[in-house]
Amino acid sequence: MIPAVGSELATFRIASVSPEGMKAWAKFLHDPNPIHLDPAVVRAKGLGDRVINQGPCNLAYVISMLRAALPGSTVQALDVRYVDNVYGGESVVAGGRVTAVRAEAGGHAVDCEVWLKADGRGPVITGTATLQLPGLRAPA
Amino acid sequence: MTLPAPPNVAGVSLSGTHPYTISAEENAALCASIGVAPEPDGTAHPIYFFIATQVGMGQTVAGLCQVCEFNVEDGPMMAGSRVTFQRPLRTGQPYRVSGEIVSLVRKPSRKLGVMDMLEYTLRLSLPDGTPVLSTTNVWVLPRKELA
Repeated sequence: MIPAVGSELATFRIASVSPEGMKAWAKFLHDPNPIHLDPAVVRAKGLGDRVINQGPCNLAYVISMLRAALPGSTVQALDVRYVDNVYGGESVVAGGRVTAVRAEAGGHAVDCEVWLKADGRGPVITGTATLQLPGLRAPA
Repeated sequence: MTLPAPPNVAGVSLSGTHPYTISAEENAALCASIGVAPEPDGTAHPIYFFIATQVGMGQTVAGLCQVCEFNVEDGPMMAGSRVTFQRPLRTGQPYRVSGEIVSLVRKPSRKLGVMDMLEYTLRLSLPDGTPVLSTTNVWVLPRKELA
């Protein structure tokens, strides 16, 4: 189904961002930065008391929200800003809103405003996304 | 306040020397780490736009910072990412990585004192040159020593 302009996308929640997950992402990214692995390093740098989630992992939550909210879609474009950190144990929620729908050859392009918010603190990622929905008819 | 010019790094190549392949096993582990199931048709999670380009480029994160005369221990921060896909990413498919530094701009910062804004573009293509995606990342490099 093609979403209506202005509609909210179904949210995607991570109840508790896992420090163990950060260890896995350090391997995926080949990036051993200790601020993602060792709270003592985070404290020493004056960045807080808990390990800091990798920015690309935060963005992966947003992408997963988009793919679940618009089944069958493919991501065409993303443009995001990383505006704050996410810390180990925090709860975050990814969401979005449809801002435009355009007919294209073979389907529709859906433009969205997207975000990731940390509970009680506000946005940590803001931006826009365009997805392609293949071969669907627009609502009458 | 007159700031010293940043290193002239625009145009420095970041092209990789070896193809990057997304393994099905790692894609499955990545999906599990964020609570989603991998696609059964071999499509990789789109976040591999970042991982494949970052890991496959011709520099480590520390090496890229060094090119900019910045110590990675001083804490580079991601400020933004843009990507345009020409086709979805797939597991088991070798990708070539090419790219370059776009700019390094020094500016005063209320929060950091002085910072350099690093912008670089990376592209993924199939071995025959078919474009797959283009991404541009922006990092903030805090220059406390200049504040």
